[in-house]
Amino acid sequence: MNANASTTRPVRIHSWNIWSNPIFRRYCQSRLRPRGLGISLLITVLIAGFIVAMASSFGVRMGTDPSDAARHAIPFLLAVQGILLFVLGTAQVAGGMVAERDEGVIDYQRLIPMTPLAKVLGYVFGLPVREYVAFLATLPFTAWALWKGQVEWRWWLPLYTVVLSSTLLYHFTGLLTGTVVKNRRWAFLICIVLVFSLYTVIPQMAKFGLVFFKYLTVMPVVEESLPIFFSRSTGAMITAMQRLAPQVKFFNLDFSEMVFTLFSQGGLILTFIIMLCRKWRWSESHLLGKIWATGFFVWIQILLLGNALPLIEPGDLFPSRGFSRMARVMRDIEPSRWEAVSMSGIYGLVTLVLIFVLAGIITPSRDNQLRGWRRARKQGASALPWLADATTSLWVVLIMAIAGAAGWFFFTRALVESRWFPGHVVPWSTFGYFTAVMITGGVGYQALLETKGGRAVGLMTILVGAVPVMIGAVLASISERLLPTALWLIGISPVSTPFYAAGTLLSLAELPAEAARAVPRAFYFWLLVGGLVVVWLIGRLRANRREMARTVLAGPVDAPPSVVH
Amino acid sequence: MTTAFSNVTPAIDIRYLRVDYGNFVAVDDLTLTVPPGEVFGLVGPNGAGKTSTFRVLTTLMEPTYGEVILDGVDVLEDIESARRIIGYMPDLAPVPKDLKVWEFLEFHAAAYGIGNRSQRRERVEECLKEVSLTDQRDKWCKALSRGQTQRVVLAKTLLHRPRVLILDEPASGLDPLARRDMRTALRKLAESGATVFVSSHILSELAEMCTSLCVMNRGRLLASGTVDQVRHQLGNTNRMITATLLGRHEDAREWLMTQPAVEEVRISGHQVIFGFTGTDDAQADLMEGILALGIRMRAFEEKRSSFEDILVEVAESNRRP
Repeated sequence: MNANASTTRPVRIHSWNIWSNPIFRRYCQSRLRPRGLGISLLITVLIAGFIVAMASSFGVRMGTDPSDAARHAIPFLLAVQGILLFVLGTAQVAGGMVAERDEGVIDYQRLIPMTPLAKVLGYVFGLPVREYVAFLATLPFTAWALWKGQVEWRWWLPLYTVVLSSTLLYHFTGLLTGTVVKNRRWAFLICIVLVFSLYTVIPQMAKFGLVFFKYLTVMPVVEESLPIFFSRSTGAMITAMQRLAPQVKFFNLDFSEMVFTLFSQGGLILTFIIMLCRKWRWSESHLLGKIWATGFFVWIQILLLGNALPLIEPGDLFPSRGFSRMARVMRDIEPSRWEAVSMSGIYGLVTLVLIFVLAGIITPSRDNQLRGWRRARKQGASALPWLADATTSLWVVLIMAIAGAAGWFFFTRALVESRWFPGHVVPWSTFGYFTAVMITGGVGYQALLETKGGRAVGLMTILVGAVPVMIGAVLASISERLLPTALWLIGISPVSTPFYAAGTLLSLAELPAEAARAVPRAFYFWLLVGGLVVVWLIGRLRANRREMARTVLAGPVDAPPSVVH
Repeated sequence: MTTAFSNVTPAIDIRYLRVDYGNFVAVDDLTLTVPPGEVFGLVGPNGAGKTSTFRVLTTLMEPTYGEVILDGVDVLEDIESARRIIGYMPDLAPVPKDLKVWEFLEFHAAAYGIGNRSQRRERVEECLKEVSLTDQRDKWCKALSRGQTQRVVLAKTLLHRPRVLILDEPASGLDPLARRDMRTALRKLAESGATVFVSSHILSELAEMCTSLCVMNRGRLLASGTVDQVRHQLGNTNRMITATLLGRHEDAREWLMTQPAVEEVRISGHQVIFGFTGTDDAQADLMEGILALGIRMRAFEEKRSSFEDILVEVAESNRRP
């Protein structure tokens, strides 16, 4: 049996060759069986056919131009394709991945000698293969509608390019969720919530200055292509309205919607691929390495700033001008001062949350650290490699905090010192305070996580992050006299700190008299307390690491290490 | 705690292996070497650390500490090469529900890069034949019985001709006939040069199947070697001896009570029954001594504790505070 092992040279499976990928072919086999596929195709073709037939017959009845009638079918076909690819496909990827783990067969796949990238691509194209085929079945109807509706390729090509890139993005999201989340139901739910929020919650963030997030959806390109898919008169009206909408700008560069969407989604897809490959190589690996996490953070900051800064001077970034654009097109509405303060606070909060997420990914658990130290001992080293998973993430989070504070500062300064608020300036000392806010929140979170573990962080999130805000909100709603107390309480939460910082440090802030007294005091006091706690936590963290290193590294290399608990 | 052999690269070389789950130590300082061509058994009660050891050996888990070298390849440093060497059959041997037997096997054959399509088919047929499942090739995996599933997964494990087979409870769920076939298949594999590392709860069977074995409990290695060596290392050499006499039972009892290594002598009908912890030579001397007293003896039988009993005793003694 064993004798032939050395004579048969295994065939290498290249990651890019998807048609030869055994995982992809395995799903083609199981998900494209005639019975299951036949029903899917029948339903899809019936719906697509119904849409096209209805659009044509409605056009005949209304006496509209045949090309206009055909165009009416396109948005509906697009919706069906969206459901197939974005909803069903993503759910299939997340659910299928968790099912592999539930059934226990994922261990076989871990052991097969394919590259992690080949495995990831096999799954991402294989699991939703039936949905892809169903999508292909809608294409003849779409092609007919585009041809009959005389829609030029320069309209539909960008749209379908972005539909496919969004599909990939969502499928990678599903694959990552299915790989990381242990429970099938949770994976499915989280995935659907993520995709749903990408179309509902995330675009709302764009209205508060975080424009980048809307490019994670197909919506910008759909909006751009929308007029052509309606009859010419309706299309003309939509085109006129769209001319008032903000253009895609990235710093001083102009991009088409498609290119910028592909650019935004591409970065995220690449990050997801890195995460998945790391998990496939070693299931205990961190989702991201320290360098990649820092790079990802900086990339998001650059995208946020690059999208937001060019929109400040024309005023397109301000929500009030966005909301009023439709109603009072001709009037040049001045943005209010509180808007700018809130937008600065939101930027700070989103940056802080991003630091929390990335710190959660790259911070080593106690087991990780122990493993790292014992590996160092085995290799005769007296320190951990700088970028290893087991190495502390303190310095990386510190860099992120400073970078985040810089992004927040530049955003705030551009906002406050714009033509909309003459006479207002943001001094450089504000950058120092913003840095303190980011370090107190971000590094405090990291140090707590590394020293005390996830359970302590969960408890602190509830007790320090949420409860004070809830109690404060209740107190504030009881009586105005309790407002200062409520503001002091709310100030405990790191979530409120960016808003307090903006309210305290920006000359634009116009708070009611009582709040104007309480907010700055609470901000400075809790920032000081937070700072002291962070210093103490860092001290504990360093002491723990020194102790762990001392215990593990003690004794000769060829003997088993001491027990550390 | 090391199986001794000379001048041969060990098929499995585990050094100071330790696996922690938080504060719980699942495997504690395990050092073990297995020469090529052995069927090596890993025995232990639930929670002994068998599965954790297997998961480290199969590159599915990074240990807290230690080294694992399979056929000269360090599994922690060169995962890809190690994975080509290993054939792993996990406990409960799962199979995908949406594939047929031949599809499942052909998928794995392709994933291991076995030749072209016809070569893969040929290899799949060979493996199906080896586990006596040729007639089930077109059946859905979900329609297989537990025993058939075990055999399909064994066939999958054999596809790429692994040099080290790691089988977690491979015999569970198999009927006696299938168990015998499994035993024969594993021995054949070992004869062809592959090393089989197998765990089981069916201890008597493991003793029959394996050329050597080791016993683990609470993450620690208690003994390793041949079955007799393990029995000796665990300090269990107890046996019950029954001497059937044709008279003078009391004389025999009194004399036995004066002999070393003899315990709890009692008379039951024509028989004198006693416990004995001495060596085989001492046991022969004992028989001669009784005859020298002029007592006529019709039979002299010994009953050793079964291997199962020993392990239960080990597990129980470890459970006690």
